[in-house]
Amino acid sequence: MFDLLLQGFGNVFSLQIFMLITVGVAVGIVFGAVPGLTAVMAIALCLPMTYGLGPAAGISLLIALFVGATSGGLISAILLKIPGTPSSIATTFDGGPMMEKGEGAKALGVGIVFSFIGTIISIGALMFIAPTLARVALSFGPHEYFAIAVFSLTLIATLSSGSMAKGIFAGVLGFAVSTVGIAPVDATARFTFGQVELNAGFNILTVLVGMFAVAEIIKVAETARNPLAGSTKAAMVRIKGFGFSMAEFLGQIPNALRSAFLGVSIGILPGIGAGTSNIISYIVAKKRSKTPEQFGKGTIEGVVASETANNAGIGGAMIPLLTLGIPGDAVTAILLGGLMIHGIQPGPMLFLTQGPLVYTIFAALIVSAFMMLLLEFWGLRIFIRLLAIPKHILLPVILVLCAVGAFGLASRVFDIWTILGFGVLGYAFVKAGIPTAPFIIGFILGPMAETSFRRGLQLSRGDYMGFVTNPIAGTFLALAVISIAWQLWGEWRNARRPAAAGSLRLGGEE
Amino acid sequence: MRLKDTLVALAMTGAGLGYLGMIAGLPVRDGVDATTVPTILAWMMIGLGLIELAGALRRPGEPGEKGVGNMVTVALTLALIAGYVAALRPLGFPIATAIYLFLQFLVLTPRDGGRPFARYAGLAVMAAGVIFATFRYGFDLLLPAGPLVAWLN
Repeated sequence: MFDLLLQGFGNVFSLQIFMLITVGVAVGIVFGAVPGLTAVMAIALCLPMTYGLGPAAGISLLIALFVGATSGGLISAILLKIPGTPSSIATTFDGGPMMEKGEGAKALGVGIVFSFIGTIISIGALMFIAPTLARVALSFGPHEYFAIAVFSLTLIATLSSGSMAKGIFAGVLGFAVSTVGIAPVDATARFTFGQVELNAGFNILTVLVGMFAVAEIIKVAETARNPLAGSTKAAMVRIKGFGFSMAEFLGQIPNALRSAFLGVSIGILPGIGAGTSNIISYIVAKKRSKTPEQFGKGTIEGVVASETANNAGIGGAMIPLLTLGIPGDAVTAILLGGLMIHGIQPGPMLFLTQGPLVYTIFAALIVSAFMMLLLEFWGLRIFIRLLAIPKHILLPVILVLCAVGAFGLASRVFDIWTILGFGVLGYAFVKAGIPTAPFIIGFILGPMAETSFRRGLQLSRGDYMGFVTNPIAGTFLALAVISIAWQLWGEWRNARRPAAAGSLRLGGEE
Repeated sequence: MRLKDTLVALAMTGAGLGYLGMIAGLPVRDGVDATTVPTILAWMMIGLGLIELAGALRRPGEPGEKGVGNMVTVALTLALIAGYVAALRPLGFPIATAIYLFLQFLVLTPRDGGRPFARYAGLAVMAAGVIFATFRYGFDLLLPAGPLVAWLN
């Protein structure tokens, strides 16, 4: 194995591939940082550029874009409180408040270093435990997937601040929005109103950009004309190193290891990627923290949990992709297309027939992770200078980039109208005190839950007990019930002691 | 009773009822079909709305509830974005974007700051040009060129 890895490094350190990785990581960071531009878009837009390259060079460029874009999301999540990608939603919870407290440089430094650590741990997992874990995931059927989706959706209750009903409602509404389009199993057109554009449902990118970026712009418009409201704080303490001490770094190692484990574990499950793992890791970190009351107010623990987990999802998502040919999320789905364009068919046979190429991919991942650390470290000062740009100049330009990103999905103006529609909905959520993150989770997990539910019923000949009697599905469903009961117990206890009620603010609710 | 919470709860219930109404228009088959999951979701939305409504009616009102912000700017911003999207095809990306950016800069400028029209116009044209050139020629994304199609494509 080490011979193959050395051979892979030999390939990656050729001048052409090394340059491609450097450019790919830099472009990926920019795509991840700008709300509305995502890793999917970066890979989709650069895919045609790889046609003329060999498989190793082409795949290395796509992997560099993936790594850069996954990490780049933390920049806008911290500087603008807008997650550049779904994987950095939880980074806004504490990164934003740290920024407001004047600790933006520290938040960025923490995010960059722990993104790197998460990536490296996940690559280790990919290299050493991929085949075994992938075989376990392969044995999952619709009953298990339905139960996992239900369990994840019930975590929404834990995510909500104040009213659990509003949190669950947001998740259910997200699920409902995901039912627009052709229904699974029987292909009935639902809620399309004769619009061909709605047959495939709403694209996750348009929903995300609308609910977070456009809604944020509308929210800023509400106060932008107030004196001194149009610009963000430009003053910031001088940065030394990455902005945090060695003691703080060492103190976060258990949190990082736990979050990396969660990121890899969740990332490996198809359909549940970094968009979910960062939020779940955040919740777990809060539950395990000695100072849970600091979460949501600007603690590095929250940034560490989110950024380690989302980057750990890189290796996690690559496990089923390479060993089974199953993409874990939208990014790996487009990476699968890229591999196939270059004549590579991912699957169990890939390790036997194209071993050197597989280890070139591993080497490209490792080099991309180091490049991400270096470029983001050197670029940190440039990112901080972004703060000097007044919001009334920056946000309209971001809106234009969001519009370009939406248009680029299918060259349709319809998708730009969609981001505006979801922007208004996101703004309404903010005004109504309804959290946005559960809506996104409901939207992402909804199709998987419904498809698995219906297929599971078909398999058990219409017997609902099939979901309970299956050991794995039954365990997850039991965990879902326990999760709801635990939250209800917590709400009842807090209602009796109102002063002790701690709140977790998500999605920018007021 | 909190007015805002009551209105939110009614909106939640209304969303569930509206969704249920839309489900009624779908074809129904025997057993589990395309309406099953949406129906469960609709009833959950109605139930959650009613739970929230009961809570809102029980809670005492707060005298100092937050007032509305500058809704005129919000309305203007929404109108500008809608106008921008509508103008993308007929005017093309470069012209529509430059006009949108210029007007949006003006609308969002804080009251205490001046309004440097020439600088805003320059910034708007430059940003529109750079974004168009990057995506049109760098990434081969065929953004609408409008009347400039003969020169830009």
